[in-house]
Amino acid sequence: MIKINGLKKSFNNNQVLKGIDLIFNEKEVVSIIGESGSGKSTLLRCINLLENYDEGKIMFLGKDIKDYDINNLRSNVGMVFQQFNLFNNLNVIGNCTIGLIKVQKLSKKEAEIKAIEKLNLVGMGEFLYHNVNSLSGGQKQRVAIARALCLEPKVILFDEPTSALDPKNVNEVLNVIRNLAKSGITMIIVTHEMKFAREISDRIIYVDKGIIEIDDTPEAVFSNTENESIKSFLQYS
Amino acid sequence: MINKIIMIIREFWPQFVEGLKVTVLLALIGTIIGLIIALIFSALRVVKINKNDKIHIKILKNIGLLFVKTYVTIFRGTPMIVQAVIFYYSFYQAGIKWSAFAAGLFTISLNTAAYLTEVLRGGIESVDKGQTEAARSIGLSSSKTFLYIIFPQALKNSFASIGNELIVNIKDSAVLSVISVIDVFSVADSAAGKYFLFIEAMLVAAGIYLVLTYSTAKILQLIERKLGVETKEMVSSN
Repeated sequence: MIKINGLKKSFNNNQVLKGIDLIFNEKEVVSIIGESGSGKSTLLRCINLLENYDEGKIMFLGKDIKDYDINNLRSNVGMVFQQFNLFNNLNVIGNCTIGLIKVQKLSKKEAEIKAIEKLNLVGMGEFLYHNVNSLSGGQKQRVAIARALCLEPKVILFDEPTSALDPKNVNEVLNVIRNLAKSGITMIIVTHEMKFAREISDRIIYVDKGIIEIDDTPEAVFSNTENESIKSFLQYS
Repeated sequence: MINKIIMIIREFWPQFVEGLKVTVLLALIGTIIGLIIALIFSALRVVKINKNDKIHIKILKNIGLLFVKTYVTIFRGTPMIVQAVIFYYSFYQAGIKWSAFAAGLFTISLNTAAYLTEVLRGGIESVDKGQTEAARSIGLSSSKTFLYIIFPQALKNSFASIGNELIVNIKDSAVLSVISVIDVFSVADSAAGKYFLFIEAMLVAAGIYLVLTYSTAKILQLIERKLGVETKEMVSSN
């Protein structure tokens, strides 16, 4: 579904991605792990062009992502952010319908039906007209997931979806992601939740200093005794 | 002194009422027109020039940016009283016979636009970058992101400052008496000149301005509370 070749990205003189080669298959759940600053989030942001990369190629459904209409690409590649980034000027349902109305050109009624369905899916159906600032962190993240789901993207990118949450709220959000994984949607998750990554992922990618160090099954990654870098990383996780 | 103040009020109250209407209209309509102009100018002011933009887009963006920056510099850097005289007489010399009220409204609107452009720019820049990223991530174009996500929040963030500008305009419209706009100050000035009661006449004007600005501030506070925005105390912009 997504094929990445020789991806390089620098910020000023700091090369964050040093030639990434990766493949993400349809209906696959892949977790990307690694230390802070290793390039995980940058890699994710390059996939939906929130960051412009310097070199390399990213193919989505057999076509270079730079050949897509950028807004069309992004509505097919959903993104969930660490800081939720819910639209403060819109209520819960407004956050979910705006993309449907303004991008997919659905009528307000059609958009609301779809939004309610997705909000019910993440357990936020009772909060339709709430101000997003009145929600807890976990609730905000669930609305953010529903917002991404509304456009029915082919893949959802999660950028540390639980890092800004307290332990109670973490479980709330992880349960939603668990259920989504079972539904067969393709997901790429940047996370520091090792237990969760191990449980949910078909594959785990360990990134270190802008390079893919390990790309393997959860069992193989967590039982790796040869790679000093991941051994050290897992020890402190 | 009180007797003299009462005498001025008794004799001049119909003129004060007319003057009050002019002051309110100038301040209110001037602020609204200024805000509308500022909405457009602030959008031009915050436009980002991307390296991927086509050359003609880059040129247009640069022209817009330069125009707004120059406009704001000129209007904020010169007194409104001077602007009013220049506009009023230069249009007259060009053969456009316009009333003092129209010239006053023109001046106050353009002046307000300069201040509110900067206020709105601050409001736009205070919106978290994540809002733009989230909007772009669901496929909204940059113009739709600006229109439906950033701008409503910027307007809300700037509400207190916009309200403050209205209050400033109520007071500062007094300088438009220089081009013979008959507002509260101008009526008080006439009354003072007739009886040589400068302090008494200006105390009447001060009372009217105070009631106007105080009640406007209270109304704005009510709206702010309803919108859930913070009240910010600001000094006069002019």
